[in-house]
Amino acid sequence: MPGDQLDLSIPAGVSAGALPARVSPMQPTPGPVPFDDPGYLFEAWWPGIRAQAWVEGGRLVRMRAEGLADPLSSFVELTEELPGQLDDDGIILDGWLLALDEGGWLDTDLLRRRLAGDRHAGRPAFVASDLLWSGGTDWQRRAFASRRTRLESVLRDGDRCVVSHALHGEGTLLAEALARFGLNAISARRLDARYRTGSAGDAWLRLPIAPEPVTERPRLALIQRLPFPDEP
Amino acid sequence: MARSMWRGAIQFGLVTIPVKLYLATEQGSIGFNLLHASCLNRIQMKVYCPYHDEVIPRSETVRGYEWSKGQYVVVTEEDIDSVPLKTMRAIEIEMFIPASRDSQGTQFVKQAYYLEPEQIGAKAFYLLKSVLAEQGKSAICKIVLKDREQLAALNPFSSTMLLTTLHWPDEVRAMDELNLPEDQIELKASEKKMAEQLVASMTGDFSADDYQDDYRQALMAVIERKVAGEKPQPAAKTEPTNITDLMAALEASVAAARQDRTAEPAAGSGPRAAATSKPKAVRSTKAKAKAKSKVAAKVAADEAEAPRQRRRKTA
Repeated sequence: MPGDQLDLSIPAGVSAGALPARVSPMQPTPGPVPFDDPGYLFEAWWPGIRAQAWVEGGRLVRMRAEGLADPLSSFVELTEELPGQLDDDGIILDGWLLALDEGGWLDTDLLRRRLAGDRHAGRPAFVASDLLWSGGTDWQRRAFASRRTRLESVLRDGDRCVVSHALHGEGTLLAEALARFGLNAISARRLDARYRTGSAGDAWLRLPIAPEPVTERPRLALIQRLPFPDEP
Repeated sequence: MARSMWRGAIQFGLVTIPVKLYLATEQGSIGFNLLHASCLNRIQMKVYCPYHDEVIPRSETVRGYEWSKGQYVVVTEEDIDSVPLKTMRAIEIEMFIPASRDSQGTQFVKQAYYLEPEQIGAKAFYLLKSVLAEQGKSAICKIVLKDREQLAALNPFSSTMLLTTLHWPDEVRAMDELNLPEDQIELKASEKKMAEQLVASMTGDFSADDYQDDYRQALMAVIERKVAGEKPQPAAKTEPTNITDLMAALEASVAAARQDRTAEPAAGSGPRAAATSKPKAVRSTKAKAKAKSKVAAKVAADEAEAPRQRRRKTA
């Protein structure tokens, strides 16, 4: 009987291999100070590892992060959770890998330990900020506003994976809030800009904020991105 | 206070100061008795001789030292009394050392004792105490307690002196097998500065009264409830905090910053107005996701306009 056979079909009608094996992640432009502009969406500059996630055939098949051979091996918990929270397939997400401590706070020491192979260090998390592919089609040429709306509609918040919360237009307000939080930069993405491979120009800015001294949460620190040897 | 557990004299040079020793600490943990589960009576530990196959009274036991496998020599009270040790009834001061906390070997402490001078030696006692305090010195001494010679440190403490027994060097374990890569760690000046700032911000006066044994109190509460005939409540597991809680905390921080902005002009925009509403370290699991949908709505509203702008930019 056909019903007894194992269902090997791939859900959502996306054939495996439809997604590109690699993408060139957009690189942010260092900006001056936080500003207010209705043309931008502002969010936290998460102190984690920038990473892209490939979800294909209902599985998290790959993660890429600069300087790391296989980030997914350090964040295996995400393979179980992320696909279950997505209402779409054939997706590439752009975001941040983070590690949280027992109290649910960002902890870069735990992140380092996790990347060094300690699978029990902290609680892993993925914060998605952008969407490059969805439904097996390329969304990179569409405006960030569309990509962001799409991202929010396909990724439901879970224990480990969320869409990065953001503020529209109010960069200085977010900067004030994040300084209290102990973070030292915000991200500003232009709503009408397409995803650019390589340098982002004014499509994506990293705006430093002067944080208040963090006495309550001394463990918070920023991991800075190290360029590849072959990078200009 | 309880009775003294030792009586003797501090000796250094030709000076002899008669003193008593009192235990300075007691075990804070809750003691249990072993009961027979079926009848709930206290069990007894009987002394059993396997050779005679009988339970014997404790008075029929002697101390034996195993000098070779299965070979014992009996050590009697007289043998112990005949031990030719000067420290038998004396606290023999060997030397004085700077009383810094990192003095080699003095960190491995066993037990603290309060000293109480006998009336005849009170003056000499406080003379020694004041010299130690003023010169920042510790006296290293030997004392026989419970049939064993002990190494000890003598330090001024409040209105008396504290005798702290120490482990002998051969009782302190080597650290060879631990992974201690101190030499290989490179510390940047900026990292050190940050750490120093953190230490400075958390530096204060230690008062032991501020701390308490939470486990003991919680266990005692469980016992008291059982005595009162109540069933003990299972410990409430704290909800695991996750990334969505962090987002909620961020939202709260944004809300607080927004409130400060609106409050500032009314409150005269003083720095105190801003300082009053710090974000809460405790996150509520509610109140998340709302802001997210708000963002989605705003973004969606902008979206209609976006393609036109994009074309203009790329043209």
